[in-house]
Amino acid sequence: MAEAGRIRAAAPPRPAVSPVTLLRISIILVVLVAWELLARSGWLYRDVVPSLLAIGTAVWKLLSNSEFYWHLGVTAGEVGTGLAIGGTSGLVAGLLLGANRMLSKSFEPYLYYLGPTPKIIFFPVMIMWFGVGPGSKVAMGAISCFFPIALSTAAGMRQIDKVLIRVGRSFRANAWQMTSKIYLPAMRHPIINGVRLGLGVAIIGTLLAETKLSNRGIGFLVIQAYSLFDMPRMYAMLIVLFCLAIGANALVGRLGGLHTIRRT
Amino acid sequence: MTAAVRERGVPVALGLGTFVAFIVGVELLIRVGVINRFIVPMPTQILASFERVIVEEDILGRFRLTFFEAFTAGAMIAVVGTAIGILLYRITLLRQATETWVAALASAPTVLMYPLFLVIFGRSAWTIIMMGFVAGLPPVILKTIEGLSGTRAVLINVGRSLKLTSPQMFIKILFPSALPTIFVGLRLGLIFTLINVVGVEFLINFGGLGQLINDLAERYDLPGTYAAICFVILVSVVFFMITERVERWLRPVE
Amino acid sequence: MVTATSTVRAGEAPAARPVEPILVVDDVSKRFETPDGILVAVDHVSFDVAPGEFLAVIGPSGCGKSTLFNVIGGLIDSYEGRITVAGQKVAGPHPSIGMVFQEESTFPWRTVIENVAFPLEITGVAKAQRREQARHFINLVGLDGFENRYPAELSGGMRQRVSMARTLASVPKIMLMDEPFAALDEQTRLLLGDKVLQIQQDLKQTTLLITHNITEAVQLADRILVMTYRPGKLKRMVEIKLPRPRSSEIVSSEAFGRYVAQIWSDLREEASRGMLDDESHLRDAGGPKA
Repeated sequence: MAEAGRIRAAAPPRPAVSPVTLLRISIILVVLVAWELLARSGWLYRDVVPSLLAIGTAVWKLLSNSEFYWHLGVTAGEVGTGLAIGGTSGLVAGLLLGANRMLSKSFEPYLYYLGPTPKIIFFPVMIMWFGVGPGSKVAMGAISCFFPIALSTAAGMRQIDKVLIRVGRSFRANAWQMTSKIYLPAMRHPIINGVRLGLGVAIIGTLLAETKLSNRGIGFLVIQAYSLFDMPRMYAMLIVLFCLAIGANALVGRLGGLHTIRRT
Repeated sequence: MTAAVRERGVPVALGLGTFVAFIVGVELLIRVGVINRFIVPMPTQILASFERVIVEEDILGRFRLTFFEAFTAGAMIAVVGTAIGILLYRITLLRQATETWVAALASAPTVLMYPLFLVIFGRSAWTIIMMGFVAGLPPVILKTIEGLSGTRAVLINVGRSLKLTSPQMFIKILFPSALPTIFVGLRLGLIFTLINVVGVEFLINFGGLGQLINDLAERYDLPGTYAAICFVILVSVVFFMITERVERWLRPVE
Repeated sequence: MVTATSTVRAGEAPAARPVEPILVVDDVSKRFETPDGILVAVDHVSFDVAPGEFLAVIGPSGCGKSTLFNVIGGLIDSYEGRITVAGQKVAGPHPSIGMVFQEESTFPWRTVIENVAFPLEITGVAKAQRREQARHFINLVGLDGFENRYPAELSGGMRQRVSMARTLASVPKIMLMDEPFAALDEQTRLLLGDKVLQIQQDLKQTTLLITHNITEAVQLADRILVMTYRPGKLKRMVEIKLPRPRSSEIVSSEAFGRYVAQIWSDLREEASRGMLDDESHLRDAGGPKA
């Protein structure tokens, strides 16, 4: 036993609330107080910094308005479809590139260097191809998430322990069996991470497209609030949006983590 | 042809070849009428409009403007980012409290705040610069912390054995040791900054290259729009490659 | 058809009728193209393996024995020569050959029983049946009770046993093992060697073991093929006439010591050539070989 050779010192008394939590709460409080003071001072022109009450009311109004949820559904649908399309094609592309050195060396650089470009600039082209409706938004989401998912899948393929592939081949598994029983399970970490990243950029791509040209969805609501100069509403929407985005990210992370708790 | 040259040359040829074949294929399909020429302009038209766009649309001036915005934002993230990173490194409690917040900020869709920034800063370069700043800040902070925390214990012990004062320790040991990692963060931040600068230029229809695309699209100048998009991709790729070279130059032994 | 020494067991009464070899390696060579030129890994190697025999192939590091392992196992397609298993030519992994690899090869995301059932899953056996069969082989390697554990929860030796059980589950006629105990400590190695012998005797399986460990080879094998340093040729064939059934206690016998000494004298020459080769490369290149 580990304790056998050690003298047990008295454990220091544990504070009821950890200092980290205390600091976090104080920081939040300071920011909120400063905000409220700024709002009341009238230093910036009207409503750029609305009072906390105004923002709180706006959040409440937003969340109790069924129309908001309809728009949320529209956006969620667009993001989901875009992620499904971009994610699947990214996965397939990544599997192909990761499996074959020649393909990887020929085509992966294109993906690698095209990855960090602002995809929103493709939006006018997407509109021409898919119209001004949800099609162009889905397309934006899809091309946004295709690159990170393809690249992380390809990298994941190369990092698979080579011996596991040889085991599969020695048992004469066919291509489908190799993919489903060996490649994909061996890559679950990079794939989950790629999907997290993909979800993040798909959300951004879809929402930006909605702000630019749409008549529905959360992005549209944000721009609408801007054009009406309804600042409390805009803040409310941004707050809700950020919470949802961070929540979605954490959820995907949890799903991936749950997968790995027992296994690795 | 030696094996080595063959190994390098074939993939490049294959990639380039496929790309060219694809372009030629699109050209043919448009001429034949399978692809609607009012949705996808012919590649030859796009190539032709390059010259027009460069000359008539003052590409150089626009490029300078975008570059200025990105550079300003980049300088800001470098200074503010490393400063905050150092601060968080020094004050452990603060770091423990806020590091996860910074990480969350890195993955949050901050660019969606651009309408808010539009209200605060107006339709000006400052909106663009501030959006670039917010986007590029988290990686610099996080990598600065990582670099400083990752200083090898033996180096710190060397400093201790030479009785260095705290500022000396920092300037002569901690910071130089952390520099490669800080540059990684800076590079990541710069990439996010550039993406956001061009993106926001496009979205608010102000500024340099991003605005150009928006402009040409609204004028229904199809070949011009495609040409401008290609140009922006080129700028982005070159920028990415340069920063990659610099980073590799700074970390030769990794 | 062995090029070195004859396979006829000298001193024994001739067999009633000649036994058809289950594995025939006929004039097999393998060349690799490298930036430095053509590398001959295996050079005109020929030997037979009788059914139920335990054959060890021993050689210094870099002698091409792992290449030979991969060629016989069907993982390397282009080679010169012929390899036949029970008369059938080998082209790709043969269903009668089971391979156990040197590295960690258990699937970390599957439990022990799911790992062992893998080959049965591939051939389409129904779930209940394959779990039943997997359990049998798990017991055979002495891991009963661990069916639902993950490899990360087991020791290195136990994981190798899982790999072995998995290969056994495909019921191969020939077990092909490439230094399966290389990553284990000596004591575990000896005990696992016992296990392997016991299994081989129970199942009457033909086994081909690639190793660099002389003690291991003499402990387990009926015959030992000694390979030269690269390019790998067959240097000598040694009959091991130690009594069967054997256990790890045999390592302390005199006869054992004599066999080890005999093989070491052959091997030492080849191993020294290997070291000299490495050193000259280091001097030429000005740094460690990749």
